[in-house]
Amino acid sequence: MALTWRAAVLAALGIPAVLVVPVPGTVLLWALVVLVVCAVDAALAASPREVAVVRRVPPSVRLGEPATSDLEVTNVASRRLRALVRDAWPPSSGAVAPRHEVDLPPGDGRRLRTVLVPTRRGDAHADRVTIRSIGPLGVAARQASLEVPARLRVLPEFASRRHLPSRLARLRELDGRAAVQVRGAGTEFDSLREYVIGDDVRSIDWRASARRSDVVVRTWRPERDRRVLVVLDTGRTSAVRVLDAPRIDASIEAALLLAALATRAGDRVELLAYDRRVRARVAGTGGPRLMPALADALATAHPELIETDWAGVVSQVRERLSQRALVVLLTALDPAVVEQGLLPVVDQLTSRHQVVLASVADPELHELSQQRGSAAEVFDAAAAERVGLERAAVAVRLRQRGVEVVEALPDDLAPRLADTYLALKAAGRL
Amino acid sequence: MTTTAPAPVVGDGTTARSRATGRWRRWRGPIAILSLLCVVGLLAALPEPRTSSVPLAPDSTAATGARAVAQILEEQGVQVTFVRRASAARAAATPGSTVLLAGDRNIFDQSQFDFLADLDADLVLVDASWPASELAGVDSSWSDVATSAALEPGCDDPDATAAGSLRASGRVLASSPDTVVCFRGPGDAADQGAYTVRTVEGQRVAVLADAAPLMNAHLAEAGNAALVLRMLGRHDHLVWYLPSPYDTGSDEGEAGPGLGDLVPPVVGVLGLQLLLVVVVVAFWRGRRLGRLVTEPMPVVVPAAEATRGRGRLYRRSRSYGHAAAALRAGAASRCARRLGLPGSTPAPQLIDAVALATGRRNPDVAALFYGPPPTDDSALARLARDLDDIESEVQSS
Repeated sequence: MALTWRAAVLAALGIPAVLVVPVPGTVLLWALVVLVVCAVDAALAASPREVAVVRRVPPSVRLGEPATSDLEVTNVASRRLRALVRDAWPPSSGAVAPRHEVDLPPGDGRRLRTVLVPTRRGDAHADRVTIRSIGPLGVAARQASLEVPARLRVLPEFASRRHLPSRLARLRELDGRAAVQVRGAGTEFDSLREYVIGDDVRSIDWRASARRSDVVVRTWRPERDRRVLVVLDTGRTSAVRVLDAPRIDASIEAALLLAALATRAGDRVELLAYDRRVRARVAGTGGPRLMPALADALATAHPELIETDWAGVVSQVRERLSQRALVVLLTALDPAVVEQGLLPVVDQLTSRHQVVLASVADPELHELSQQRGSAAEVFDAAAAERVGLERAAVAVRLRQRGVEVVEALPDDLAPRLADTYLALKAAGRL
Repeated sequence: MTTTAPAPVVGDGTTARSRATGRWRRWRGPIAILSLLCVVGLLAALPEPRTSSVPLAPDSTAATGARAVAQILEEQGVQVTFVRRASAARAAATPGSTVLLAGDRNIFDQSQFDFLADLDADLVLVDASWPASELAGVDSSWSDVATSAALEPGCDDPDATAAGSLRASGRVLASSPDTVVCFRGPGDAADQGAYTVRTVEGQRVAVLADAAPLMNAHLAEAGNAALVLRMLGRHDHLVWYLPSPYDTGSDEGEAGPGLGDLVPPVVGVLGLQLLLVVVVVAFWRGRRLGRLVTEPMPVVVPAAEATRGRGRLYRRSRSYGHAAAALRAGAASRCARRLGLPGSTPAPQLIDAVALATGRRNPDVAALFYGPPPTDDSALARLARDLDDIESEVQSS
């Protein structure tokens, strides 16, 4: 039961009656009239429970892109349905104008479209569909909320894909497949071809040249079919906000760009999101199905407020990888955390694999270390300086153990990690 | 993009019956509590007659009240009418009734009592010296010596002799010889006593000098009860007039028109109707179109929070040494990097290199990078600025 503005007007219409007959009985009588009119109107309204509702949403949408939630409303009652329908979604789904007015004769249906512009990664579960069926007088209404389950998976934005074309071009340069035949410094033997002026004389294959009358050079191509394991740390340090976005968002962007690049380069990419247990895993998927699988798995990766178990990470990696591989740790270069967690066990990783640690740097740290306004600010600057030194020290210790450390601002982390990958590939260190 | 094809949802799985049951389940607790409160409130309010604590009021249960007398009189068939205003007293005093004027504490104007003389009713004036002198021609005096012992009647008034004794403080002085004065104290003159009865122009006027015999606390003492009950219970109707300080004695009998008398009568009803409109509007605006949708909020942990905390910690503990060491180490490592030296360069080599790059003297550079720690805020700020200067010089070299 719900009232409309007309009910208020009906109640206000009693004021002249009261002025004519100023006794309390008039008010009582008018209240009775309003009550009866509302009750009759609500009783005459079509039942909101005799409406067939189907909600259709796309299974997933990229963060920041609009999606539509289609609500098919069919009047299965014998009365005409005049109703207000609300397609309820959580606030972060960004539902634009979720209220719709419908006027349906019996048996008729209509499609109501609500545009959703999600503002947060993850699964958005639709709430109830509320139907307020208004009576023929438009004074009162009957209302019911129906459970119409629907889920919209909001995938990571993958804004770093704009860096992909330039990195792919670099990869092709490495590959020797570029239109301009610049031979890359690959490490795997590719083929023999005739010497042309400009080729490095060191690459002349004398044995092959001896068999033929021409001078033949070897060409190389970058190594292929290497394995890349991206480990996304979803522990408490990933919840920390840098430039108003949690660290994990930048890490996910970097993971996606690296995966896109590596899969084009012919490597096999696996993903593991871990804190104290596995939060997401993508393995054994290749080719065009990899990126959707990654986006799907990373959509629901959220920071957990627990300390990451690095020994567990190591055992997961050893379980997963038998041969040498590139292990990319997307975590935070937090001196205390790294010293307690990663440093004691990192040797077990570096002894068998090439390890890259990618961390989001905080620009605020630099700003803090620059300020000199007051004594308090100088103390803050000193603290920031100390934190920066500690980070540098821990990065040095990691490098000494053979870990490549990449530290960059949130927007730069993905391209920097891609560049590191390309550099490692060019050097044949995968 | 592919879409899922779910089955249509019709209804929320409830029937009118299940909804009614659900509503009843939800509301029966509050309804039970509310009705219980109502019942308890009614039980508490109904059998309890109204009481007050006004001295000498027939509904007062205090020690100075007179509810005991009033109740005994009512049990004996005397109808007690309690009034606070002169006009009400005049209206209530039917011929052949008794009018009690209880106390003159709140009498400020003669009009509050002079109408009593015109009434066709017996008067009883208790502790009311001014009315007594005006109406009965007897003066009153106060004495507190006679409270200890009960007084003997010492007269032939039937009420007094029936009472036998009285314990009261005040005295009346009869100025005319036809006055019967009873209950004289040991040291009193012949025309001095606690109780007197006189007939003035056909009206019987009894004067009791002290109000104590009426009070709940003293009613049971000596012959107080007998005298008071006989005095007040002469007729079937007793008007209990307890003057009010707010009684102006005017003929309207009201303190003046209130706000309710000044506004037209339609306003109250109009207010009721507006209340109805407000209630309807509240129901219109108050009903939500479906429930609020909730979702978990992400945690917000600013990255620099720990660093700022560390800065505050430095400051609170006045760790100039630590702060200066951090600033110096940061500047030194940046200078070393700029000059192409490894991070592990020993101090003398770094000092030499920086001095060479900036053209400063070696001891100055050494004092800046490795000197004693500052001891106050200004020294620390100066050190920070000096380090900035030398760093920029190294950068531009």
